[in-house]
Amino acid sequence: MTDTQTQAIRNAATEAERRALSSRLRGVVIGWGPVIGLILLWQLLAVSAGAVFFPPPFQIAETLVDSLFSGDAGTAFLNMDMLSEVGASLARILLGFALGSIGGCILGVLIGLSRQTGDYVNPIIDFLRSIPSTATIPLFIILLGGSDWMRVAFIAWSCSWFVVINTAAGVRSIEPGMLEMARLFRVPRPRQIVRIVLPAAMPQIFAGLRVALTAAVLFSVVSEFYLAVNGIGFQIVQSQRRFHIEEMWMWMVVLAVVAWGLNAILHEIEGHVLRWHKESKQR
Amino acid sequence: MSPHEANERVLRVDRTRKEGTVEVISSNIATIGTEKDMALADAARLAHGDHQPVLAVEGVQHRYGSGARSHLAVEHLDFTINESEFVSVVGPSGAGKSTLLRILSGLLVPSTGRVVFEGKTIHSVPAGLAMVFQDYSRSLLPWLTVQKNIGFSLLNLKLSKAEQAERIRDSLASVGLDGHGDRYPWQLSGGMQQRVAIARALAYRPHILLMDEPFASVDAQTRAELEDLTLRISREYKMTILFVTHDIDESVYVSDRILVLSKAPATLVADIDVPLPRDRDQVGTRELPEFVQLRGRVARLIRDGADLAH
Repeated sequence: MTDTQTQAIRNAATEAERRALSSRLRGVVIGWGPVIGLILLWQLLAVSAGAVFFPPPFQIAETLVDSLFSGDAGTAFLNMDMLSEVGASLARILLGFALGSIGGCILGVLIGLSRQTGDYVNPIIDFLRSIPSTATIPLFIILLGGSDWMRVAFIAWSCSWFVVINTAAGVRSIEPGMLEMARLFRVPRPRQIVRIVLPAAMPQIFAGLRVALTAAVLFSVVSEFYLAVNGIGFQIVQSQRRFHIEEMWMWMVVLAVVAWGLNAILHEIEGHVLRWHKESKQR
Repeated sequence: MSPHEANERVLRVDRTRKEGTVEVISSNIATIGTEKDMALADAARLAHGDHQPVLAVEGVQHRYGSGARSHLAVEHLDFTINESEFVSVVGPSGAGKSTLLRILSGLLVPSTGRVVFEGKTIHSVPAGLAMVFQDYSRSLLPWLTVQKNIGFSLLNLKLSKAEQAERIRDSLASVGLDGHGDRYPWQLSGGMQQRVAIARALAYRPHILLMDEPFASVDAQTRAELEDLTLRISREYKMTILFVTHDIDESVYVSDRILVLSKAPATLVADIDVPLPRDRDQVGTRELPEFVQLRGRVARLIRDGADLAH
């Protein structure tokens, strides 16, 4: 191979690298550009207008950093009180979401598997889920008082419907040939459900889980508006009542970060569990 | 009709006689009475030790639904399949072939008559029976790798991990897919996927293998390969195979015996022995005068049989 050829190959390689880098750069710009632009615009408008209820984003960020790192050296200056507020909400969200999803999954499979059960249960479900969840919170308070169980039960109840509906639809659309195949190899019914029904319905179950998780965050905040002593929702209302507008905004940002993080984790799990689905569809 | 044609076991039963048979059978059932008696009869036959067919279809009739909107899919079927036999079932499309397979596999209980598998009347899917479906893409599970798909047939066999692994490895080798165990079905071609489905059935070590138009959705080249693969397996494992197809050439090429069905509602038009040498060759066998003659005869039977029955 001559030197010029080697040189040409080397040039081509660096060219390809450069192109890959620039396309990655473009991705970052497209992804973050509008967000940064919006924040800057907000900053500009808030500062120039001097609106009390819309503090500039940099000020909110400053409040957030100040409160978060107002702890002592023993906890790396982290404000443990603030983290425990987040922890309280997070625990309610996760527990409510888990219970609602498991319950929703079981009910969805039962409805999806048998047309008869579906015929009996569907009208009831359609009615129950038409009741706006927020309207049921007084009932949960009467039944379970101001306890955390009231909040968890309320979150579970409210987010379970999304899982029920999606799971039932997923189960109903299973290829009958797959279950017939399992019958031919004499695989018992419970194992058919675990080995075929659930995996086959998994893409739709995850569609339900995504909505349910968002709903769980939403309803946790609502539940913390009533009879609560801690939690992000509680803090938002408290800051508003005390007219601490910057803190109110800070807690809203914290909530957004929590919701975003939870969604990112679920997305990661989904990518792992449904790899077969995504890749087989690409063919 | 040529003398040759007259020679074959053509069951061109006229309508009155056919109805007669049905009556005899139903009265038989009435006299035999309970299932217990049937089971006793099975046991007695087994005790006598006479040569049992692997599968016996006795006076089977099937009607879907009831009343005015019911639909007769199988009018009357009576036949047996012996050990290590490769039997094809051919018939015009819509002949009730899939209904027949569902009945034979125990997925569907016939309205009248019974299916006896290894001496026992079947009421649900019996042990020792496997099936290969036409649509591999719907019968293989896309979330499992090839070896886990094959292992699926072993779920209820209570084998040790080592035995399972061995069966999976052996059956993969039998269908020529060694080294593909960790791939997913959707990463394979159609022909390879159907090989996986065959391997899954093989790992189960069935006494009878039912195949439902298994090669209807692959290209001609692959189809020839899979036909030879199935033939090799039937010889190697001395497997009893019932092969449903609508392809006349294929039925003649692979089988020892051909059952020709009429148009729906299905009856047996003919039960033909295939006089070809057992070693088949895609080119050589198809050139034999016997092959050509038989193919013509089956084609004519399907055409005429369809007219005859209605």
